Amino acid sequence: MSSIASFDHVALARGDRSIFKDLSLEIPDGKITAIMGPSGCGKTTLLRLLGRQLQPSAGTVTLFGQNLRDLSPAQILAMRRRIGVLFQNGALFSDLNVFDNVAFPLREHTRLSERHIRDLVLIRLHMVGLRGARSLMPNELSGGMARRVALARAIVLDPEIILYDEPFAGQDPISMGVLCELIAQINKVLGICSVVVSHDIHETSMISDHIYIISEGNIVADGTPGDLTHTANPLVRQFVAGEADGPIPFHYPGRDLWQDLDINRGALWSN
Amino acid sequence: MEQLARIGRTGIAFTQSLGQSALLLWMALTAPPDRLSREFRRLVQQLYFIGVNSVLIVMLSGLFIGMVLALQGYTVLSRFGAVEALGQLVSLTLLRELGPVVAGLLFAGRAGSAITAELGFMKATEQLSALEMMGVDPLAHVLRPRLLAGLISMPVLAQIFNAVAILSAWVVSTELLGIDSGSFWANMQQVVDFREDVVNGIIKAIVFGIVITWVAVHEGYTAAPNTEGINRSTTRSVVIASLSVLALDFILTALMFGD
Amino acid sequence: MQQRFIEISVGLLMLAGMAALTFLALQVSARGFGQNKGGYEVVAYFTNTSGLTDKAKVSFAGVTIGQVQSIEIVPASMKAKVSMKINKDVDYLSTDSSAVIQTAGVLGEKYVAIYPGSEDDVLTAGAEIYDTQSSMIFEDMIGKLVTNLAAKD
Repeated sequence: MSSIASFDHVALARGDRSIFKDLSLEIPDGKITAIMGPSGCGKTTLLRLLGRQLQPSAGTVTLFGQNLRDLSPAQILAMRRRIGVLFQNGALFSDLNVFDNVAFPLREHTRLSERHIRDLVLIRLHMVGLRGARSLMPNELSGGMARRVALARAIVLDPEIILYDEPFAGQDPISMGVLCELIAQINKVLGICSVVVSHDIHETSMISDHIYIISEGNIVADGTPGDLTHTANPLVRQFVAGEADGPIPFHYPGRDLWQDLDINRGALWSN
Repeated sequence: MEQLARIGRTGIAFTQSLGQSALLLWMALTAPPDRLSREFRRLVQQLYFIGVNSVLIVMLSGLFIGMVLALQGYTVLSRFGAVEALGQLVSLTLLRELGPVVAGLLFAGRAGSAITAELGFMKATEQLSALEMMGVDPLAHVLRPRLLAGLISMPVLAQIFNAVAILSAWVVSTELLGIDSGSFWANMQQVVDFREDVVNGIIKAIVFGIVITWVAVHEGYTAAPNTEGINRSTTRSVVIASLSVLALDFILTALMFGD
Repeated sequence: MQQRFIEISVGLLMLAGMAALTFLALQVSARGFGQNKGGYEVVAYFTNTSGLTDKAKVSFAGVTIGQVQSIEIVPASMKAKVSMKINKDVDYLSTDSSAVIQTAGVLGEKYVAIYPGSEDDVLTAGAEIYDTQSSMIFEDMIGKLVTNLAAKD
């Protein structure tokens, strides 16, 4: 099973904070790979590294067999056409309606006729179930609908890999179910690879083939959804079970309670 | 000692910001152009949002300012028995100063703030990121049409302002103040020089247009991607643009009308 | 539909701008702004140009026919040399014309008025107007008046 992308000993720092020191992971082709972890662990940063919006300070990011560091602007452009991205809130263009949003990549990058574009757009909208909403403006859509339109837009150029940035965040159960279905279906029907960044254990486990859990810039878990439920790693257990306290503590570090309340505990219990 | 360090840091931050915005302007203007029909269409759209939507406020302001200038000018000139110079006073004041400056301040408040808010919103909702990931340069696609539209709209708006103000001053002078219409215009024409006054006013307006739009675009593009960030940037955009207009006005006036 | 409306509005905006500019050019500013092209230089020497400045008007019979280009002091003759640019279609100034510095209006703008002479030859490029009269200085006038009144007593 080949990798469509990989991170090799990647290091990245933002300001003084180091996000990754030495991260290596593989994204297998044709599968759904999930990258999960507590907030702020750098999951979204990994997507940006894949899309070459960011460059690592050390190490290599490889996509489609190419080292992203050495690409010329024309090569970057060509590479980006093979990637579809679903942003957290859809990122639909607010001045275009649903149809024009989905048609945008076609109009920018191809010279297809309007009739041809119309057919392609309607097919994609049909795949996400929103063909009837084609004339609505983005501000008239619910969050879930906006994401589905954005998904249609992400697949309109038939990408080879789709990156999902927190697709389940803030959705009601039905929307989540719909998106879950769509991600799995699209990956199967189009025969492509998907990378899902999320912290929704339940939904992500249902559709992913492989999960990485990242914390503090390191991979703490790496396996199938099944592997994760049987893990011995306490951090992974806490994350998967959603426990309030564990390796990631409940209390923000600080003074002891008794010191803060200025009570001498010893004196309280005597006499 | 600490104060000195703080001042130094502020100075460096200011210089860095200035450089950053200059680079942004350069990259947006020199980014490779798209198909010309599409560049033109985007430009026309921005001309509508920036220019056409500002016409009403500009015309109304011109109307009121023209009337006030006529009244105030009359009061002062009548003390010297020089009321026939009212036309000159009104037109020179407007063409050289009030037209470009007031239209500029209005433009900064209406169009500049709208540009900043819109760009900040686009940044916060990751639309700019989306464009980048789709292989479209946000600088060329989003920033450039706005920059060009601002550069073109400002002088147009300033001339409309001038024309409306002079006409309303004429109406007030002749109807309310009893000045002879013929001498109002004749006196004006003797003094107002097309190259010196009208063209210099246009040049000022073009410079203001560039600066206001540049500030608005930079503030929007670098806004923090949340509601508070957008608010802060919008306010900064109007304040910085307005102050720049006034400062540049001084410099340009000294260059153009000094000896 | 939406796009057409936008385009029409922007077109109207541009038209309004053009109209405003035309109005300003024709109705508000000096007509004949093409006068700066061409023209010939004429000089005149004055003992006192008090108040005359560059770009002041040069007029003949009340009509503007040119502009003052420069004013320099000639130390040798202790006079001020006023160079004027006269419009090229003004070819009727006789060689014995006189130039007088006068005041326009109550606000006191100075200008050069040219009065006709009787010679047949006309002034050409580089010519000099010999008959000049310096501007009247307000204080001198009062002084003269007072002296005259005193003399009467």
